[in-house]
Amino acid sequence: MLVSWEWLSDYVQLTVDHEEMATRWALTGLNHESTEMVAGVPVIDLEITSNRGDCLGHIGVAREASVLLSQKLTIPNPVLQESTTTTASMLTIENQFREGCPRYIGRVIRGVKIGPSPEWLGKRLEAIGVKSINNVVDATNYVMFECGQPLHAFDMSKIRGNKIVIRPATAKENFVAIDHKTYELDPTMVVIADESRAVALAGVMGGVDSEVGNDTVDVLLEAAEFAPLCIRRTARKLKLHSPSSYRYERRVDSAQLDWASRRCAELILKLAGGELLEGAVDTGMVETAPLSVTLRAARISKVLGIDVPWSISLDILQRLGCQVQSGSSESEAVVSPPTYRMDLVREIDLIEEIARIYGYDKIPEDAVVPMVASARRPKDIMMQTVRNVCCGCGYHETMTPSLVGKSPALAVSPWSELEPMSTLVPLLEGASLLRRSLIPSLLASRLHNQQQSNRDVRLFETSNVYLASVSGKPVEQLNLGLLGACDIREVSGTFEEVLERVCGREFASQKVTMQTVAWPYLEANSGIEWLIDGERIAWVGQIGRPIADSMKLDAMVAVGELNLDLLLRFARTVPQLKSIIPFPVVDRDLNLIVDEQLSWQVLSTAIKESAGPFCIGVAFKEIYRDTKKDGEGKKRVLLSLQLQSETETLTSKQADDAIQNVLSTCKERFNASILL
Amino acid sequence: MSLPDFLKSLDDLMDEARKSLESVDSGDALEALRVKFVGAKSGVLKTVQKMMGVIDVSDKPSAGKRFNEVRDAIQLAIDQAAEKLGGGGSSSKSGPMIDPTLPGVRPSLGQLHPITQTIEHLKEIMSRLGFSVTEGPEIEDTWHNFVALNIPEDHPARDPLDNFYLATAKKQVGGNPADRDAMLLRSQTSTVQIRVMEKQSLPLRIISLGRVYRPDAPDATHFPMFHQMEGLWVDKHVTMAQLKSVLRLFATSYLGSDVRVRFRPSFFPFTEPSVEVDYWWNGQWIEFGGAGMVDPNVFGHLNIDPEQWSGFAFGLGVERLCMRRFGITDIRDLYRSDVRFLRQFAS
Repeated sequence: MLVSWEWLSDYVQLTVDHEEMATRWALTGLNHESTEMVAGVPVIDLEITSNRGDCLGHIGVAREASVLLSQKLTIPNPVLQESTTTTASMLTIENQFREGCPRYIGRVIRGVKIGPSPEWLGKRLEAIGVKSINNVVDATNYVMFECGQPLHAFDMSKIRGNKIVIRPATAKENFVAIDHKTYELDPTMVVIADESRAVALAGVMGGVDSEVGNDTVDVLLEAAEFAPLCIRRTARKLKLHSPSSYRYERRVDSAQLDWASRRCAELILKLAGGELLEGAVDTGMVETAPLSVTLRAARISKVLGIDVPWSISLDILQRLGCQVQSGSSESEAVVSPPTYRMDLVREIDLIEEIARIYGYDKIPEDAVVPMVASARRPKDIMMQTVRNVCCGCGYHETMTPSLVGKSPALAVSPWSELEPMSTLVPLLEGASLLRRSLIPSLLASRLHNQQQSNRDVRLFETSNVYLASVSGKPVEQLNLGLLGACDIREVSGTFEEVLERVCGREFASQKVTMQTVAWPYLEANSGIEWLIDGERIAWVGQIGRPIADSMKLDAMVAVGELNLDLLLRFARTVPQLKSIIPFPVVDRDLNLIVDEQLSWQVLSTAIKESAGPFCIGVAFKEIYRDTKKDGEGKKRVLLSLQLQSETETLTSKQADDAIQNVLSTCKERFNASILL
Repeated sequence: MSLPDFLKSLDDLMDEARKSLESVDSGDALEALRVKFVGAKSGVLKTVQKMMGVIDVSDKPSAGKRFNEVRDAIQLAIDQAAEKLGGGGSSSKSGPMIDPTLPGVRPSLGQLHPITQTIEHLKEIMSRLGFSVTEGPEIEDTWHNFVALNIPEDHPARDPLDNFYLATAKKQVGGNPADRDAMLLRSQTSTVQIRVMEKQSLPLRIISLGRVYRPDAPDATHFPMFHQMEGLWVDKHVTMAQLKSVLRLFATSYLGSDVRVRFRPSFFPFTEPSVEVDYWWNGQWIEFGGAGMVDPNVFGHLNIDPEQWSGFAFGLGVERLCMRRFGITDIRDLYRSDVRFLRQFAS
C-alpha cells in the first residue's frame, strides 16, 4: 500500500518526519518496505497484513499515525446538495444474490461534464502509481485510496430499464470487460446486470459498454460490499486482479458504504458538475448485533507477561476507535470495536492491540524460563551414527528435492509396486512425482557432477520416500540412499557397518539374511536384498546399463538403500561391554573348492556350527576360480576361522579337532574339496 | 627320514642360529646371517622344510608344528639382534632420506550437508533450553495444515496455486481446498504443533524440524522446498515475555554473543498476538522468523481450555540461518549435490 505523506496530512497532523513515522508504523504493525520521493513528496510503501483491510486507504493509515502521535484524526464530512428528484424514482436495484453481495448502494448524478481532473487530484493519484483517466473515474479511485472502499461509475444511459440486478452469473455466461477481452463466467461469480445483460463483473471489472466515457452525461455510482471468497475465486479464476478486488478480498466495512458513496458523489459534483438525485437506493445493511467483547485486566498480563496500567490499556483501545462501555471496573471492561476493525472480535485481539501500541519493547527478554529435562531420541542417536559411518566411509552427504521427474523414477521402485503419487503443480520443472526411492535423485546428482567434471563422487542422503498404499493413506519411509563407484560390495560394506553400529554385532550377523534380486533396472546378477524376519531392510545393486546409458553416465555405479525406520526398531542405544577374554585367538586359514551356487551365508553358517563352541568368527578372505584344475561351476573360497576358549589357551589339538569337524562337514554337505 | 632325525636337525639348526646371532656385530654380518637362515630362495630353513616331504604322513603334524616353532624362534632372534645393533645407525645408512614436507596418506572422508549441520546445531541449542525434538508427516491433510491452525476455507493461503496438493484418482476432487480428504505437501511445520497436542499430554515443550513446500520460482533466495524449525511451549503460565526470553537465549547461543531481540507486530492465523522477530547483531537488525502466542481457536480445535493453558509458538527458515552462517549466497546450490560445494563444509 503506497501512501503519500502529503495526502495523509489532510487527516492528521504529522508531528514527526516521514522516516521516524515509517519506523513507528513498522514497530506497530505496518511494515515499512521502502520510501520514494515523487515530485518532492515522500511516498511510503507499507506492507499491510491480510487482517488489516482498514489500512488499505489513507484514512486508515492516518488513523494509525494519529494513535501513535496522539493527534486528532479528521475525517471529511461530505456535504451534498441534492435535487428534488429522488434516486428511487430513476433507479431500481434487485438483489438476487445476497450471499455474494450483502449490500449495494446506488446514487445517480445527472448532467456531468466529463473532462480531465484538476492538477492536485492527478498528482495525488500519480504519486501512488494510479493513472489519471477522467474526472469521474478519478473521483472513484481517489475515494477508494482515501478510505479503502472500491467504487464504480456506470454510464447511466447504458443501463437498460434503469434497473440493476445483482445475480450469480449463469453457467458459461460470456462477458466483455473494459479490457475488451471476453471472459467465461460461472455461477459462483457475482454479476451486476441491467434489465437484459451483465454490465459489470462485481468487484473485479466493469463491462466495456457501460463504462464512463467522454460522452457520458448521467452517472450511476455503485458502492457495494461483495463477499470476499466470491471475489477472490473470481479474480483467481479469470486472472483479473485489481486494487478493487484486492480490497474486497479483505472484506470492506459495510457501515462505511454510504459515507464512501456520498464522499464520491461530493467529489464528482465538485469536479464534473451535475445534479445529484435525492437519497440513494440501498439494498440495506445486514443487521448484526453490535459486538461486545469483555476484556479482563488480569488476562493482559497473563498473555504478555507484563503489567500494562489499566487506564493506558483502555485509552489505547479508545484511540483505536473502540467504545469502552460504561460500567467498566478496574479489572474488567466491555469493549465495542469499531466496524472498520473486523479483525477485533475476541479478548485476545484487543490484547494484541494494547501490546502493539503500548510497545513490544516493553516486554522484557530476561523472564524466567524454568528448566526441564529433554533427552535425545533413539532416532537422533541412530541418525548420528548412520551419518558418521557414511562420512567415515567417504560419502558426501547431499540433499535432493523430494519430487522427481518421470525418468528414471518410474522405472526404479524397489519399495512399492504402486504408481507414485504426484502433485497438481510440479515442484520444479517436470518434477511432480513424489519419489519412491532416493536412487533416481542420487543418479541425477551423479550426472550433474559428471557434467562438472567432478571425480570420485560418492553420495549419501537420508530422506523420506513416499509410498502410495491401497488404503489411500500414504506412507513416508525414511531411507538411507548410497551412491558409490562401481563395486557393490563397497556399498554393502557401508550398510554392514551401519547395521553393526546401530544394532550391534550379534544382531547384524544373526538376524539379517541376504538373497539375490533380479530387478529390471539393475545389472543382471548384481542385485541383493537384505531381509530381517522376511522384511526387506536394504538392497544394493549396480544400475542397469539401459538406464546408465540413457542418462549418459560415464561409468557403472553401485547404489543401495536402507530403510531407517525399520532399522530404528532394532536399534540399541548403548553398546554393552562383553568382558575381554585373556586367552589368545587361534587363526586357521582354509581354502575350499565348492560349487559356484553355494552362498557364503550358507557356507559360513555351516562352518560356524560345525566348528563347535570355540569358533568365534569365520572371516571371508577371497573367492577365485581355477577352471583348469577344478572344472566349470566351481569356485575356491579362502577363509579363516578364529578359535578361542573363554577359559583356557587352546591347544593345537583342540584347534585341529575343530578344523577337522569343519572339513568333514563341508565335504559331507557341500562336497567341498580342501586345498592344503 | 624319521621324525626323530628331523627334529634333531631342527634343534641343531636352532642352536647354530642362536650362537652366531649372539655374536653378530655389524649390520652387514646380520644381513648375511639372515640370508643364510631364512633367505627365501636357499636359506637353511627352506632346505629343512623340503625334508618334510619325505616324512611319514602320520608324523607330519608334529613335524610341521616343531618346524613352525623353530622358524618363528629364528626370526625372533634375527629381529632381536637387529634391535641390539641399534635401529638408527644401520637403517639411516641404507634407507632413503625422509622428506618432512611430504603429505601424509589421508583417508577419504565425507562430510555432513550444511543444512544437516545447521539442523543439528539448532536441535542441540533448543534441547538445552528444554525443547524435545519431534516430527510429523510431510504429506498432510487440510485439517492439520489449515483448519486446525485457524486458517479458514476462504483464506488465500489455501489456494491450489499456492500449495502442492496431491493429485488423486478422482481428478476433480484433488486439490480442491474445500475437500476434507485433500492431501498436500505441508506448507509449514506448524502442522506438527497440532499433531503433538493431539497426542501428547500437557505441558509440553517441543521443536520440530523438517521439509516444507511452497510453490515459488527458484532463484538465489527462493526454492520451492525448504526447511523450517517450529517451536512450541504450552504450559499453565507461558507468556510473551518468556517467548522473547527463549528467543534471546536461543540467539545468544546460536550467534555466540549477547544479542537483542525485537518484536514487530504481524499476522498469522494460528497465533495471537503475532510478531515478526528480529535480532540486533553486528550492528543491524536481522529478520529471524515469526512467532506469537497460540491462538485460542487453535486450542479450541484441540479441546484444550485456553483459560487454563497458554503457549507460544515460533517458526523460522533453516536455509536462511544456514546460508548466513556458511556464507552461501544461492539457495539452489544447497540442492545441486555438487561435490565441490559439499566438500567445503567438512568440519
